[in-house]
Amino acid sequence: MNDQISSSQRWWILNPRFWLILFFLFAFLVAINLLGSSFKAVGKDMAAQLIASVTNPFAGLSVGILATVLVQSSSVTTATIVGLVGSGQIPLSIAVPMIMGANIGTTITNTLVSLGHITRSDEFRRAFAGATVHDFFNLLTVLFVFPMELATGFLQKSSTHIAQWLTPEFGGKMPNPLKDAVKSASKQIQEILSNVGIEGGWMALALFLIALTLIVFSLMFITRNMRVLMASQIEKMLNDVLCRSGLLGLIIGIIITVAVQSSSITTSLLIPMFGSGILQLEAAFPIMVGANIGTTITALMAAIVAGEAGLIVALVHLNFNLVATAMFFPIRRIRAIPIACANSLAAAAVQNRLLVIAYVGIVFVLVPLLGVFVFKFLGDI
Amino acid sequence: MFKWFSTSTDASTDLTSGMQRMQAEFGQMLDAGRHIFDSAANAFLGGTNLEVIRKDLFATDKLINHAEQQIRREIVVHTTVHGPSSFPQCLVLMSIVKDAERVGDYAKNIFDLAEISPQEPTGEYKDDLIDLKDRISNLMANCRKVFDKNDEMAAKEYIAVAELIEDHCDKKISEFVTTGNRELSATYALAYRYFKRVASHSLNVLTSIVQPLDKLDYSENKTDGQQ
Repeated sequence: MNDQISSSQRWWILNPRFWLILFFLFAFLVAINLLGSSFKAVGKDMAAQLIASVTNPFAGLSVGILATVLVQSSSVTTATIVGLVGSGQIPLSIAVPMIMGANIGTTITNTLVSLGHITRSDEFRRAFAGATVHDFFNLLTVLFVFPMELATGFLQKSSTHIAQWLTPEFGGKMPNPLKDAVKSASKQIQEILSNVGIEGGWMALALFLIALTLIVFSLMFITRNMRVLMASQIEKMLNDVLCRSGLLGLIIGIIITVAVQSSSITTSLLIPMFGSGILQLEAAFPIMVGANIGTTITALMAAIVAGEAGLIVALVHLNFNLVATAMFFPIRRIRAIPIACANSLAAAAVQNRLLVIAYVGIVFVLVPLLGVFVFKFLGDI
Repeated sequence: MFKWFSTSTDASTDLTSGMQRMQAEFGQMLDAGRHIFDSAANAFLGGTNLEVIRKDLFATDKLINHAEQQIRREIVVHTTVHGPSSFPQCLVLMSIVKDAERVGDYAKNIFDLAEISPQEPTGEYKDDLIDLKDRISNLMANCRKVFDKNDEMAAKEYIAVAELIEDHCDKKISEFVTTGNRELSATYALAYRYFKRVASHSLNVLTSIVQPLDKLDYSENKTDGQQ
C-alpha cells in the first residue's frame, strides 16, 4: 500500500501535465490581476460606463446568463466577475445576480451535449432529462434565492462577514508570496507593452484582451489536462456512484468538479450514461448539486489575487450554491421537483423535437436578452 | 506539443487502470464459466446429486450475468471518460463479455439435458464425453491464463485446440444425425452441440488476443465458410 502511495506521488511529480497545470494556474491568476489593471489603466470614465450599462440586478442576472452561454463556462464568467469586483469596476449588488446568472448559463453545455442522442427517442428522453435536471435545479434555485437576496441581501451580508474573517489570509496583511509573484508577472507584462509604445486607452484595451484571452485559455488547458490527469480517478468515482444516490454522489460531484475546474465537464460526462440508461436521474442529481458547489473553486482561486471585494463575490458564489443544496438536497420530495420537471420536459421534447430548440432559445438566449434590454431601459427611465 | 497538452485524452497514462479493472472482472467471469461448465457436465455424465448442482449452477449463472452487466456499465463510463482512444479495447471487451456469458447459458442447457434425459450416458460415448469435458475445461482454464498474459503465441496454440474440439463435436453430431435411430441419439447430439458451443465461445475469447477487431470470432485457420 505504501509502495502504491509513493509510486502514485512520484507519478504526479514526474508527469509534465502536473507542471503544466501549475503553470496555467499561475497564468490564470496573472490574468485576473491584469483584468483589474486594465480598468485602472483606462481611468474612471470607462468604469463608470461599464457600471452604467448594468445597474439593475435583473439585467445583471441576464448578463450573467448570456456571458456564460457565450463562453460556455461559468468558471470564466465568475472568475472575470471576481476580477472586476476586486478592481472596483462592478458593485457587489450587481455582481451577485451576475453570479446567479452564471450558474444558469453553465447548464446549456450539457443540454447541448444531450442533443447528440436526438435521433433515438428513448436515449434522447433519458439524456435530455438528465441534462435539464441541472437546468431546473439552477432555475428553481434562482427563482427562490434571487428575490430573497434582493429583499434581504443575505448572501452579500453573510459573504462579507466571512470575507472579513478570512481577510488576513487573502487581503495582504499576512505575507502572500503567490500574490507578490502574480503582481510581479503582471507588472512585467505592462512594462513590455509600455516599452513597445502602448499607453493610455490602448494599454487598457491590450491588457483587457490579454487578460480575457489568458483566462479563457488557462482555464481551458487546466480543465483538459486535469481531466486527463484525473481520468482514472474520475472513472472509478463514477463507477462507484452508479445506481446509488445521496451524499456519496454529492461528494463525488464536488471532487470531480474541483479536480477538472468545470461543472460543465462533470455534468456532460454524465449525459452518455443517462442516454445508455445506466445512470438514473435520482442517482445523478446529487452529482450535479455537488458539481455546482465544486465549480466555485475557480472564483475562490481568482479571489487569491482579487482582494477582499473579490473574495466576497467568490464566497457569494459558494454560499449561493450551498443554500441551493440545503434547499433541494435533504428532502426527497423537494429533490423530486427538478427531476419531475426534467422528466416532463424530456417526454414532451420526444413528442416534438422543436420544443428543444424553443427551450434552449427561450431560456438561454431570448429571456436573458430581453432581460438586458428591458431592465436597461427601465434603469434609464 | 500544443496538441499534446490541449488533448483531452492521454493513451500513455490513465487508460489502463479502468481497463485492468474490467479485465480482472472478465477473468472472474471466465473462472465462473469454467466452474459452471464442469458442474453441468458432471451432472450430465452421472454420479452427482442434481439438486445440489442445480442450486450452485443457477447462483453462479446469476453472478456471471451480473458481472456482464457490470462490465457493460463500466465500459460506458470508461469510454465517456477516456474518449475515442478507448473505443477499440472497449468494443473487444463488449464482444467477448457476451461469449463469457453464453458459456453460462450453455452450461444450463447441459444441466437441463441431464434432468430431462431418460438415462445417463453409457459406453463409448460416455468415455468420449468425459474426455471432451476434460479437454474443454482445460481449454477454458488456459483461455483465462492466456487472456491475463495477453500471450499471442499461446492463444494461437489454444485456438488450434479449440478448433480440434469443434471438429470432433461436428463429426459426432453428424454421426447421430445420419444414424438417428440409436438409443439416446438426440441427447448425445445435443450434448455434443452444447460442448462445441462452450469451446467455440472460449475460442472467440482467444481470437481477441490475436485477431484485429473486425475479425473477432474468426480464426486464421478457417475460411469464412467454415466458421
